[in-house]
Amino acid sequence: MQIIDTDIVVVGGGGAGLRAAIAAAERDPALKISLVSKVVPMRSHTVAAEGGSAGVVREDDSLDHHFDDTVSGGDWLCDQDAVEYFVAHCTEEMTQLEHWGCPWSRKADGHVNVRFFGGMKVQRTWFAADKSGFHMLHTLFQTSIKYPSIHRYDEFFCADLIVEEARVQGVLAIEIATGEFFLFRAKAVVLCTGGAGRIYRQNTNAGIVTGDGMGIALRHGVPLRDMEFIQWHPTALAGTGVLITEGCRGEGGILVNKDGYRYLQDYGLGPPDPWPRVKAMELGPRDRLSQAFWHEERKGRTVHTPLGNVVHLDLRHLGAAKLHERLPLIMEVARTFAGVDPVTAPIPVRPAVHYTMGGILCNVRTETPLPGLYAAGECSSVGIHGANRLGSNSLAEIVVFGKVAGDHAARYARDARPVDGDAVRRQGESAKAALVAHLRREHGERVSAIRNEMMDAMEQGVGIFRTAGGMQAACDTLARLRDRYRRGVKLDDRNEAFNTEWLTAIELGFMLEVAEVIAHSARLRTESRGAHTWLDQFQARDDEAFLKHTVALRGGDGPPRIHYEPVTITKSPPKARVYGGEGKKAVLT
Amino acid sequence: MATRKPYIRSMDGWWRRDPFFVRYMIREASSFFVAAYALVLLWGLWALERGHNAYDAWLEALRHPLMVLFHLVALAFVSYHAYTWWKVAPKTMPTVRLGGREISQAQISAGGWAAWAVASVAVLVLVGWGTR
Amino acid sequence: MAETKFIEIEVFRYNPETGLEPRFQTYKVPFTDDMSVLQGLQYIKDELDGSLTFRWSCRMAICGSCGKMVNGIPHLSCKTFLRDYYPNKVRVEPLTHFPVERDLCIDQSDFLRKLESVKPYVIPREERSLAQGEYVQTPAQMQEYYQYSQCINCLLCYAACPQYGLNKSFTGPAALALLHRYNADSRDGGREQRMELVNAEEGVWGCTYVGYCSQVCPKQVDPAHAINQNKSASALDYFMRFVMPRGGE
Repeated sequence: MQIIDTDIVVVGGGGAGLRAAIAAAERDPALKISLVSKVVPMRSHTVAAEGGSAGVVREDDSLDHHFDDTVSGGDWLCDQDAVEYFVAHCTEEMTQLEHWGCPWSRKADGHVNVRFFGGMKVQRTWFAADKSGFHMLHTLFQTSIKYPSIHRYDEFFCADLIVEEARVQGVLAIEIATGEFFLFRAKAVVLCTGGAGRIYRQNTNAGIVTGDGMGIALRHGVPLRDMEFIQWHPTALAGTGVLITEGCRGEGGILVNKDGYRYLQDYGLGPPDPWPRVKAMELGPRDRLSQAFWHEERKGRTVHTPLGNVVHLDLRHLGAAKLHERLPLIMEVARTFAGVDPVTAPIPVRPAVHYTMGGILCNVRTETPLPGLYAAGECSSVGIHGANRLGSNSLAEIVVFGKVAGDHAARYARDARPVDGDAVRRQGESAKAALVAHLRREHGERVSAIRNEMMDAMEQGVGIFRTAGGMQAACDTLARLRDRYRRGVKLDDRNEAFNTEWLTAIELGFMLEVAEVIAHSARLRTESRGAHTWLDQFQARDDEAFLKHTVALRGGDGPPRIHYEPVTITKSPPKARVYGGEGKKAVLT
Repeated sequence: MATRKPYIRSMDGWWRRDPFFVRYMIREASSFFVAAYALVLLWGLWALERGHNAYDAWLEALRHPLMVLFHLVALAFVSYHAYTWWKVAPKTMPTVRLGGREISQAQISAGGWAAWAVASVAVLVLVGWGTR
Repeated sequence: MAETKFIEIEVFRYNPETGLEPRFQTYKVPFTDDMSVLQGLQYIKDELDGSLTFRWSCRMAICGSCGKMVNGIPHLSCKTFLRDYYPNKVRVEPLTHFPVERDLCIDQSDFLRKLESVKPYVIPREERSLAQGEYVQTPAQMQEYYQYSQCINCLLCYAACPQYGLNKSFTGPAALALLHRYNADSRDGGREQRMELVNAEEGVWGCTYVGYCSQVCPKQVDPAHAINQNKSASALDYFMRFVMPRGGE
C-alpha cells in the first residue's frame, strides 16, 4: 500500500471539488492539496448540467427575491441562514467563473444574459447556451491547472475514510489502472462526490453517480439528512433518461399530452395564458411538473412509446434560429437519441430521477459533525434546497459552497494537529482487506442482479407518489438485498489491474445503504412536502409535526436510525406554496 | 500488487487501414508530380535559353509516348492537387466574416475552384491564340 | 411479440496481468433498434462477462469518456447505434495511437500532459476585480473562439491523427485547438506566452493537414482549422523575431 502524506484531500473532481481545491490553493499556497477523483475531472457529472446557474443581476431582481423563490421552492424545509448566505454569494461566483473564461451567453451589448427558470420570479439564470455545466466544469478544470499546489490523482477510486480519535485523518483510495491501494494521510477531507441518482432505474445521471461519499460518510457515523427528497426532472428522454433541459421551458417551450392539451393547467399551475409567465405552467417547480405527469399517465392521457409513456415538449414555436443559438445541445440530443428534430416535431419526454436534495449533513461552513470532514455540492445537505430544488440553484451551489469548503478546510488543515501516521496506516490496512475480499470470493450473486432489484424496488416503492405499503415493501426488499450483498457478490473479473467490475461492486454497497436511508426516511415522514408526496393519505403539508429535517444514522446490521432536527427559519415563516395564477406575460431575454 | 503493462500497437501500414488515409497519401504523392512537371518546364526554359535547336529537341522529347503518358498522369495528379488545395485552403485562414455573416469554408473552396477554372480557361485561350 | 434480434459484437481484449498478446472475443447480444454500441457493451458486462472493461459515464455525448474504434473508425460509443451495423458484426477496439491499459481502456496521461502544457486558462489582458463585474464581450467576440471551446476531450481526434500516431511529441489536435480557443478569447492576453509552443515542431508545424481530426470530431470543433490558421501567424512571428529580436527572450 502506498502512503501519501498531504494536507487536504478533495474527493471528487467535479464543479464542487475543483472549486474547493482552487479555493484552498488560493487561501494557502503552502498547503498540499490532493484532488482524488474516480474519473478524470472533465468526465464528472457536472459536465452534463445544461440549463444554467442562478445569480441576481437585474435591476428588478433582489437577493430577497432569490431567497423567497428558493425557500418557497423548497417548501420551507430550507435552513434560511444557509439560503441567505447562498443567494448573497451566487453572483460573485458567477462573475469569478466569467473572469476565468466561462463563455456565458451575452446580450448584444456584451453583458451577461440571464433567463427564466422554473419557480423563479425574475430572470436570474446565467447560461452558456444549454451547456452551462460543461462550460463551468471545463473552465474550472482548466483554471485548476494554474495552481501547482493542487496534485491530481485521476482515476483513483476513494473507497473509505480514515477516522482516528474522532476526527478525519485520511482516505483510502484504489488506483484504478493497477488496483494498488493508496493511503492519503490528511488533516482535512472535503467530500464532493455528487448525488445518488443511479439508485433508480430511470435517471438522468451518469454511471458514476452512485452516492459513494454519502455511503462512506454514513459508515463513519456521519448523518445523512433529508434523503427522502429525490427530484424527478420532468423532461428526460424515455428509456435512457437523457436530460432535456429546463432551459427549453425557460425559452418558452410548452408541455402537451396526447391530445395536444397543455395539461399543467389542471394541476394548479394555470391559467395557460399569457405565456410565458413566471412561476406558472411550464415554469412551475419540478416536483409539481413531475407529479402532473404521473397523474396524466394514470389517466391514460400520455403518449405510448416502446420505451415508456411520454408527453410532448413542443419547441417548434421558438423557431430554428433561436433553437440553434440557445439550445444547440438539445437539438443534437433530440436528433441523436430520440430521432426527432425539435424545429419540426415535439420532443417525447417523461420524468426521470435527476437530483438528490438531501445528503451529508453540514452547516453553512460545509463542516460536517465529524471534525476535519467537509462536504459540498450534491453530496451535501447544507440546507438550501429543502424539499425541492429549483433549477439553476445546483450549479450555483457547487461553486458557492465549493469555495466555502476549500476555504475552511484550508484554515482547519493549517492549524490542525498532525495525523497519527501509524494508527492511520493500521486502519488503512484493515479497510483494504475488506475491499480486497470481494475479489477473492468464490460464491455469490452477480452485481447486476442485486443492482437491478434495488433499482426496481426504488422505482416502485419510493417513486414520485408514495404509499405506506409501497415504501414498506421497498424497505423490506432493501434489507433483504443488503443481506444478500453481505453474503457476497461474485465477480467474473479477478484482476487487480483496471477491474471496473470490482468498483461497481463497491459502489453497489454504497448505493444499497443510501437507498435504505431514502426508503426509511420517506416511510417515516407522514406528510407531503415538496418532492415527497403521498398518494392516498397525508397529502397535505404538516408544519406542526414535520417542519423538521430528517436525520439518518447508520443502524449497524439493522435499518438506519432516524431522528429529527429543527429547520432554521429567519426571515420567511412558512406560507402556502402557490404557483400559477393570473399574471403578466413575461418578456424573454 | 499489479504493475501497469500498457500494450503498444504498431503503426506499420497505418495508411492502408482507412480509405481516408489512402486518399491523404495520394494527395501527398501528387506533389511529387507537381514537382516533376515543374522540372520538365524548367528543362524547357533552359532549352529555350540555349536556342532554337535545343528548344525543338525539347519539344521532340515531349512527343515521346512515354512522355505523353507522363503528362497525362501528371495532369491527373496536378488536378487532384489543385482540387485538394482549395479544399484545404479555408482551414489555413481565420474565419472570414463580411458584414457579420460568415463566409463558409465551402464557399471559400468553391471560390478557389472557380478561380482555378477561370485561370485554366484563360491560359488555354492564351496558348491557343498564341499558337494559331 | 417480436422475436429477439441478436447482433455479434467482437471486442478487443487485453489483460495487463497476463501480459498475453491481445485477442478478439465475440459476444452475441440481444438488441433493439434504439441501442447504442455502449449499451451493447454494458449488456455484455452486466450479463455475459463482467471482466470486459471500458470507460463510460454520461451516455449523452458530453463527457467524452466513451470513445472507441467501431469498425476501424473513431466514434463515441454512446451515440453510435447497433442498428446501423446490423446484421453485420460490430468490431470494437480501443482508440488507436494510444497505449492500451486494459481491453478498451487507453492510457490518457499523455493527452492530459499536452492539455496542461498549452496554458489552457485565461491570462487576463487587463485586470478586473470581481466587484467590477464581468468583462464585456460581445456575441461577435465570443464567436471568434466559441466553436473551439466545445471540445469534450474525447480523444477521437488523436485516434484519427497519424502524425500523433507516428510521433508522440506532437501536441495534437484537441490541445492545440484549446490553445487557440484561449488566444482567440478577447479577455485573454496570453498569446505571447503560448507562442513558443505554437512555433515548435511539436506545435502547429507537426500538423500536415491530414484533416481526419475535424471529420471525426463529434462536436464540430474543427481542430484542423484551429491549428492551420495559426501557421501563418507562427511564420510571421518567427520572421518578426528574426527581424526584431526581443531582448532577454
